[in-house]
Amino acid sequence: VLSAEYVDDRSGSVVEFHRKSPFLALLTDPHKTIVVTGIGVVSPYGIGLDCLQAGMLAGKCCLERTTNVVYPGFDGSVAQVRGLPLLSENSGVRVSRTDQLAVMAVQDAMASSGCDSSTFRESGIVMASTLGGLTEIDTGIAEDPAAWYRRPGGLLRAASYPFAHVADAVGEHFGMHGPRCAISVACASGAMAIAIAANMLLEGSAPIILAGGSDPLCPFTLSGFNSLQALDPNPCCPFDQNRKGVNLGEGSAVLILETLAGATARNANILAVLRGWAMNNDAFHPTAPQKDGSGLADCVRLSMQMAAVRGDEIGYVNAHGTGTPLNDTAEANAYETAFRGRNRPIPVSSTKSYFGHCLGAAGALEAAVTIMAIRSGALIPTLRLTNPIESLGIDWLRGEVKRQPLPLAMSASSGFGGSNTVLIFGGGPS
Amino acid sequence: MTPDSQPVTITGIGSVSPYGPLAGLISKLSLEPTTITAWTTTGQRRAFLVPPFRPAAVVPGVKTRRLDRLSAWALVASSLAIKDAGIDLTQLDRSRIAVVFATAFGCIELTEAFYLSAAANGWNGTDPITFPETLASAPASHVSMFHGLRGPNITVSNKYFAGESAIMQAACVIRQAQADLAIVLAGDALARSLYAWYEQAELLSTACYNSNPVEAGGFIPSEGVAALVMESSARVKDRPEARTYARITSGRWAAGGHPAEIIRQMLCGSRPRLAICSGNGEPCAVSPTASFVREIAGDDCVITPPQAFAGGLAGNGALFHLILALGNLAGIPRLHEQALLLGTARDNGFAAILLELP
Repeated sequence: VLSAEYVDDRSGSVVEFHRKSPFLALLTDPHKTIVVTGIGVVSPYGIGLDCLQAGMLAGKCCLERTTNVVYPGFDGSVAQVRGLPLLSENSGVRVSRTDQLAVMAVQDAMASSGCDSSTFRESGIVMASTLGGLTEIDTGIAEDPAAWYRRPGGLLRAASYPFAHVADAVGEHFGMHGPRCAISVACASGAMAIAIAANMLLEGSAPIILAGGSDPLCPFTLSGFNSLQALDPNPCCPFDQNRKGVNLGEGSAVLILETLAGATARNANILAVLRGWAMNNDAFHPTAPQKDGSGLADCVRLSMQMAAVRGDEIGYVNAHGTGTPLNDTAEANAYETAFRGRNRPIPVSSTKSYFGHCLGAAGALEAAVTIMAIRSGALIPTLRLTNPIESLGIDWLRGEVKRQPLPLAMSASSGFGGSNTVLIFGGGPS
Repeated sequence: MTPDSQPVTITGIGSVSPYGPLAGLISKLSLEPTTITAWTTTGQRRAFLVPPFRPAAVVPGVKTRRLDRLSAWALVASSLAIKDAGIDLTQLDRSRIAVVFATAFGCIELTEAFYLSAAANGWNGTDPITFPETLASAPASHVSMFHGLRGPNITVSNKYFAGESAIMQAACVIRQAQADLAIVLAGDALARSLYAWYEQAELLSTACYNSNPVEAGGFIPSEGVAALVMESSARVKDRPEARTYARITSGRWAAGGHPAEIIRQMLCGSRPRLAICSGNGEPCAVSPTASFVREIAGDDCVITPPQAFAGGLAGNGALFHLILALGNLAGIPRLHEQALLLGTARDNGFAAILLELP
């Protein structure tokens, strides 16, 4: 890896970049290498990565066509988390469904790391959400706010509204004292929380940071996507030429991140290495990506530059793959551009075809799926992909689960407002 | 931000505040709350409100008709900060310019409007143009779109220290070579539902209801957006015309634990001679922060107390506290090569940013 050359597609030149790369330390210094030592997941499959993995490997789709779910009059497909255990509420603290999903995911992450909450006393938290406590609020708050607050519990319900509340709910629940940061960048939020946490670890902000995202189903967002005519009423088919739109889901995922030096010192079980990450913006349109996917392509290249890997070395891309006509075309173009020059097409799939688009949690859930693919060597195909977008440079994964060693894999996320985040994971050190 | 990390320099400032749209430091201090007229109230209700202005009159070409006021102010404040920094964006690689925005409540006015459209038309009849503008990240996205900034675009929040958090995240992306320059913004707009929440929670000062002087025991809500241009100090050296408002050398924030110990470690033995308190809107903000400053910096440290209107910005006031404090140093002896921007919260939470002043 250290002798890798970076192919600059825009100029067509090959540049030896690693010797002057500011990111070289990320590959060679254990204090600057970011590793994953725990993964927590709450998904429509249930609680835990094992649950998610078993469901996806079995090809089980959690999307169901329903009517009058989430709000009266809704007719479409969603993926719901059922049987979420209710948290015992501290006095004076209102816990929204967003908070509950996040707390359960953190609890699962801690369990997966084999440690209890006392290990994470000084840890930081970076939690993403697009909704925060909007699930606790209804139209009455806009019609007559004073009367709404006077309802029993009204003030406490409203207190969970800011998206920062999710990080606080997690921190308070587990008694964590480190820095808390909330991220909200639309559908790239969960992935960006992981990138921001990695940045904070490089800065020494905390010894361990728990990072991820959480978003529930909510009338507000479901209605919003419906108003934009972006929803497919049936289970979605990302990257298919006949795709009609997105389905929403709900869930939460959290990664425990720390430096390799820190993880080694405390003898933690290393599940994966976060090899590279990048964030950028299309600066193009409030809801649409650039059709040529150039913003995301740049983000993919930046992440590979940080990881000091060539396109050939990436074995799988877990795509954003919403199923909307605009996103999927742009995304296919982005991978065509960013992986140009590979000696074989890049394997790509969208796992939103299993559990929908979980908005602020999507990037974190998909990071967990990407790590799962690396650890199991199982490349999950896109469901219902019968007539893929024509693309010579992309190997659209469909049909059976593909099994192969996977040293490096990528997870890409994009969102309204043009934000992109790309994460590259590798297997843990042997 | 570790003590040995490369400093980052603040080279431009812009704001939209109750003082109106301004470039550079704010040296005015006298400010009276104004009466709310944007929605019907029972009796007089007052707050520190941004006076109405036409964004296009300040930033030619800017279109804000369909945007939340917060997005419109972010566009104006960022434009003023870029102009103040003397930067010609057309000469820069805009894929290397980041936007970091801090907000507590996001685009709350259009969120209210979306709820009202649902109340009027049902959830299947909501407004598609309003929906994407309700996102908390919409203001940062508009800043990127308007200026063509293609670097990292991050929207952050924190109950007490959102502004400080944005400054530290921006410094981080610059030092980690993910951007050369960052536009940092923080702010919120006051909306009917937010004001009613403060009121029902009995958090407001009596000055919100009458024109008597502000009394202890409550705060006056406010609104606005402040913007900073931050560049790596190495880059600023190559730009001799650049103005240096302050250099950010290190920072720490946490939700608890042992703040004094963490801050002393950050200070590496130095003792700042000036502390700028970035109060968080809670009535108790002043005295705990002051006693904390005494504990870590000694009795001779000059304390600039939280600024009235910035204290009403629910965790987002740090940029305004800084802009107001630096704009009003005239009466303070120049003993403060180092300054600490410091916010504290209940439960030992804190945010501390060490600054070098020119």
